[in-house]
Amino acid sequence: MGIEDDDGNDTGALFQIEEPVAPMRKTTVPGRGIGIDLGTTHSLVAVAPCGEAPRTLGDADGRALLPSVVSYIGETPDVGWDARAAQLSAPTRVVSSVKRFMGRGTADIEFQHPYRIAALGDGAADVVRLEVGQGRVVTPMEVSARILEVLAARAEEALGETPTGAVITVPAYFDEAQRQATKDAGRIAGLTVYRLLAEPTAAALAYGLDKGGQGLFAVYDLGGGTFDISVLRLRDGVFQVLATGGDSALGGDDFDRAVGEHLLREAGVHTPTVLQREQARVAARDAKETLSTAETVSVQWEGGPALTLTRGQLNAVIGPIAERTAAPCRGALKDAGVRARDLDGVVLVGGSTRTPLVRNLVESIFRRKPLSDIDPDQVVAYGAAIVADELSGYAREGATLLDVAPLSLGLETMGGIVEKIIPRNAAIPIAARQVFTNYSEKQTGMMIHVVQGERELADDCRSLARFDLSGIPRLPPSMARIEITFELDADALLTVTARELMTGVKQTVEVKPTYGLSDEDVDALVIESLDNADEDFARRNLAEARVELGRVVLAVSAALTEVGDVEGILVAEDRAAIVSALADGEAAMAPTGPTEHHEIVAVRERLEHVSEAFARRRMERALLAGMEGMSLSEVENTIAADDTLDAKRGSHEAEQIEKI
Amino acid sequence: MAAESRSASKSSPPSGDHFAVLGLAARHDLTRDEVEVAYLALAKQWHPDRVGPDDLAAKRRSMEASAAINVAYRALRDPVTRLEYLVKLGGVDLDSSDPKTGAPAPTQAFLVDMIERREGLSDARQGGTLAGFRGEVEDAEEEAVDAALAAITEGDTPAAAQSLVQRRYWQRLLDEIDDTEHTST
Repeated sequence: MGIEDDDGNDTGALFQIEEPVAPMRKTTVPGRGIGIDLGTTHSLVAVAPCGEAPRTLGDADGRALLPSVVSYIGETPDVGWDARAAQLSAPTRVVSSVKRFMGRGTADIEFQHPYRIAALGDGAADVVRLEVGQGRVVTPMEVSARILEVLAARAEEALGETPTGAVITVPAYFDEAQRQATKDAGRIAGLTVYRLLAEPTAAALAYGLDKGGQGLFAVYDLGGGTFDISVLRLRDGVFQVLATGGDSALGGDDFDRAVGEHLLREAGVHTPTVLQREQARVAARDAKETLSTAETVSVQWEGGPALTLTRGQLNAVIGPIAERTAAPCRGALKDAGVRARDLDGVVLVGGSTRTPLVRNLVESIFRRKPLSDIDPDQVVAYGAAIVADELSGYAREGATLLDVAPLSLGLETMGGIVEKIIPRNAAIPIAARQVFTNYSEKQTGMMIHVVQGERELADDCRSLARFDLSGIPRLPPSMARIEITFELDADALLTVTARELMTGVKQTVEVKPTYGLSDEDVDALVIESLDNADEDFARRNLAEARVELGRVVLAVSAALTEVGDVEGILVAEDRAAIVSALADGEAAMAPTGPTEHHEIVAVRERLEHVSEAFARRRMERALLAGMEGMSLSEVENTIAADDTLDAKRGSHEAEQIEKI
Repeated sequence: MAAESRSASKSSPPSGDHFAVLGLAARHDLTRDEVEVAYLALAKQWHPDRVGPDDLAAKRRSMEASAAINVAYRALRDPVTRLEYLVKLGGVDLDSSDPKTGAPAPTQAFLVDMIERREGLSDARQGGTLAGFRGEVEDAEEEAVDAALAAITEGDTPAAAQSLVQRRYWQRLLDEIDDTEHTST
């Protein structure tokens, strides 16, 4: 646990590192890390074993790109080109662009798609579930896992060995929910995820090392479904992300859909069927690709009329969509504190940057010709492979990556206002804390609402987690000290911890954002795809129960040493009960202790139970010390006034008292 | 194999105030480059990626150290936040409302000036002279920074705190002007 010093420079120091889930195999073998670009339209895998130059791995036909499409027409899911070819025959049973659904709730799906979304069960977490026919329902994480499995198998064949871990790239602008969902997909696919790496960072890494230099780069990444802009600097062997921005729901798919709608209008179809819309979209995608080099193209789909599309018409349709990338670009430059002319290069990433209109737009925003000497489809996977090689334990001549938090993280306070705890573009890992207090002696709980986003009001931000902090000791108003700590790890994944500082007995509640799948859900899915996983799950539960017991044992023995001998605080009988329960606790944590997690939980609960009265008396003592010099009637008056106040105020609102 | 590059876990993590964490003297006149160079070297040394995933204790230590380094960098790289931090080390916390150790209340004269400027904002909005108005506020903001700098140089923390409080008022006004520009375009 962290040590707090008085000048407020404590950094939190509360990073909770997960107990390893019974490592069956070594997680790092140098040279056996793989890099995966899990894209909206295509995915790739690359390796760069033991310092080699990165290379992407192809299928049996030598194709590196794997369409991110999963078909559920057959008994077993089919991934890739065949699935993509089957799309028009059964649009609702072949899932494409699943990345857009990652980490999203049903209410977030505002874009067009051909799928049936399963109704939410009572009390079920708000996770999108797609009905893919024959009663089968899949989550976006499972669909992504199927893609990851194919890529991992490809790598295993190329390496001749099982990969020990993967670096998976995500759009820099992905929020917590989307990152967590991606990590969950990796777990479901049975992969150890070394790192979630921002796509633009991966691209810049591939370029930076390629150019062997120092410099300031902007990376403009327009993929199928997401747009990212990052400003990075390479200096003294450190790759530093200065700022990042973007739109996690804007990409080439939007071009295709808009052009598809245009084509349908041209064809005189005003109320298209699902099939017609899909046909038009596919035709639009092909036409768009042809128009990257040609000036005009003829378009036709089965049962539709013959049409032509010129580059001018294409530009008129997609221009307004592409323009939406300009504001985030300017914002990122501003956040980074640099001007367009300070840049040493602008890197293009993503298939959508092949569109001439997009290139011209980038050139006008940054006032220079963008670089595209590395294939924009492969550059992200190259960067991921380099980082994977490093994280697999190979000491390669590389750069250290310093990434940033893509979006601000904060807490809802009085009146629904967001108090930012970790600001956008802060370098990660980072920890920040804030202390809140109670309103009244009656307040024993506090509602904690964690949000992500840049808006002032909590309602306008993305809600990550809500939890009730209970068990706040009864203390006079403003005497309780509830410290909330935010920790963002190197994957930009958040852990929130709350503890009460006033009383010696620290209560720690740890919360991971509760969106998407719960840990149990993911574990269940992992179990489905892994043998012997039941045992792992039990071991993990056991490990967690032991950690929790350890905390309580530590707190109670510390309190006993500190004030256990003070007169009147502890009768001999209670003391004996506590000492005995403590001994049981110590025994239960020993290697010879119980191996069922519920047995450990029972020991902890008993210790908590027998020490409850002691904890209360310690608090009363602290309280009396705070009210020294008051007569009994004054104390009563204070409490009465407090009751009145309590009635006036919402007793569960947090009041911010200091910022550390 | 990679034992040497993983030496971070052997030396002791940086500690103390933000300046000490980055190994810098507690001065206001650091250049951005001095801060960057110190930061990059430490960030590289303590990055969690330099520790293998199986060594939990070392991983935790490196994450805690990285967090301290990142927090210190954020506070010190910008001249204004650096000044604010120096004032904090001097005993005045601008983010607190504590009457003794918190941000000092702005002077009466300053508040009167502020009210007049705000009226100026709505005039400028209607009269289309927002750019010129913005320039004036920018100048006022810079003057406040300079005054805080001068005060810190003389070791006068209360005066520096007063100037920095004023600077925050100007900054808020600038943000409002920017918002106005956004909504009008």
